[in-house]
Amino acid sequence: MLDDHLIGVLSNMGMISFIALSAYLVLVVGEISFGQQAFFAISAYASGIASAMWGWPFLGAVLWGAAIAGLAGLLLAIPTLRIRGLYFAIATLAFAEMVRLALEIFTYRVEVDGELVGPDGSEGFRDIRYIYEADISAGAFLLVILALLAVTLGAILWIERTRLGAVMRMVGEDPVLARLQGVNVNLTKIATVAAAGLIAGIGGALYAHLNTYVEPKIFNVMLGVHGLAYGLIGGLGTAFGPLLGVALDIGVLESTRAFSGYRMIVFGGLVAVLLIVRPRGLLDEAAVYRIRRFLLRKDAGD
Amino acid sequence: MLELRNLSKHFGGVRAVDDLSLTVNQGEIFGLIGPNGSGKSTTVNLVCGVFPTTSGAVLFEGRDITDAPSHRVVAAGIARTFQNIRLFGDLTVWQNLWVAQNSAEERSKGWFGRWLGGDRTGRGDAEELLKFAGLELRSGELARNLAFGEQRRLEMARALAARPKLLLLDEPAAGMNAEEVSQLATRIRALRKYGMTILLVEHVMELVMGVTDRIAVLNFGQKIAEGTPAEIRDDPAVRTAYLGTADA
Repeated sequence: MLDDHLIGVLSNMGMISFIALSAYLVLVVGEISFGQQAFFAISAYASGIASAMWGWPFLGAVLWGAAIAGLAGLLLAIPTLRIRGLYFAIATLAFAEMVRLALEIFTYRVEVDGELVGPDGSEGFRDIRYIYEADISAGAFLLVILALLAVTLGAILWIERTRLGAVMRMVGEDPVLARLQGVNVNLTKIATVAAAGLIAGIGGALYAHLNTYVEPKIFNVMLGVHGLAYGLIGGLGTAFGPLLGVALDIGVLESTRAFSGYRMIVFGGLVAVLLIVRPRGLLDEAAVYRIRRFLLRKDAGD
Repeated sequence: MLELRNLSKHFGGVRAVDDLSLTVNQGEIFGLIGPNGSGKSTTVNLVCGVFPTTSGAVLFEGRDITDAPSHRVVAAGIARTFQNIRLFGDLTVWQNLWVAQNSAEERSKGWFGRWLGGDRTGRGDAEELLKFAGLELRSGELARNLAFGEQRRLEMARALAARPKLLLLDEPAAGMNAEEVSQLATRIRALRKYGMTILLVEHVMELVMGVTDRIAVLNFGQKIAEGTPAEIRDDPAVRTAYLGTADA
């Protein structure tokens, strides 16, 4: 079957895809967030606490972590509602650094089966032992990741076909005009940022349980920047765009030996070139439209 | 139906709209004309809540909607078009109409029915509007790929998709040739038959004179004349504003 290296790469791609989808949703409503790693971190800790310290079942812990991350998204969105563009981007960056630094001093330890477990400041949060205790193989965990990713992707793709999806694109393209079509722009943005927090949270919870330990320095700004760049590379026309970005970066650049050492140079260059020639990524709205039309034509049989 | 009371908007020292009062009656086509920079578009923007008023009030059906957020103004029954075309280029033609649908019936569907109802709900209305705008064959095209005249027609259809009681047309004939202007006049007259009230902001005189019931003339943000098209044509103050004084 799959070798360990490949399972590791695919698991990593799956988990990072949640951050990419999260940053993508915020991009669709016209804002740039450098802070989606904060929601990943919040959920990693919250779900770890639930499963390792409170003895919750795994799926409950994941949902709990995601819900807390979504709530954090809501709390971030309400005060940042009135600022836009560059200022929103800076606010998200500041928020994420705040969360990371708070985790550096966050200590909450309880005794479980005679051992102290729980977050220990900058030492991190060790012994999130769920996958050992339940004896889950890396391959089985990969299936869990892919299943949750499929559900998330399916939900986003469905929303994109509804009027709500069209409204989100309207808000991103021209908020003044959207308001003049009767859209409550602020509410749309708050709901989107909260949903984006929840989605990043699913990834964070999976990350904590697969790696069995997390520490604050993992959730630095580069994680958020990558998540953001995946949508910008892969395209903002469809939720498949950010996944394409993840596949290109982690699947090709990081995981094959050919680019070793040059990964960040190639990746940075790719972002720079695409921002000039295709500012909304490879699968931008126009590309998605052409693909959809091509597929429909084949269905119609002419 | 729409009443502006001593409406003013100052941008720094510039009085874009200055103490403007006027009333548009139910079922009327009201023209708002004036030279460039006389405050016509600013007036439309104030009614729609695009930016805050400096002083004065906007009343719609007797209710005060001064400085209400734009989406509330739309919900109250006012829709508009733009002087420089503003469509959602990344949405298709019918999606542009679909997202603008805002009738009372549409709003009564509840949150789930309205926003997550998939891409089939409400299409019947959109088909009718596409026909009205002569765009039924372009329904699946991205709005940005339309020709200029088609985009103008789509803008008007989109404003109608909201099922407004009052329609604000901001220079709908800008950039149109004579043929297109006469088609536009036919469309505007057709709307009157449906009982729509229209505030028409326009430069193109043949259109304004041809379709409106009453006209107000703005100059430097102030109303300098109001009356029927025939009265306005003969008004000396209007002639001065447009053509300058004899000795200038």
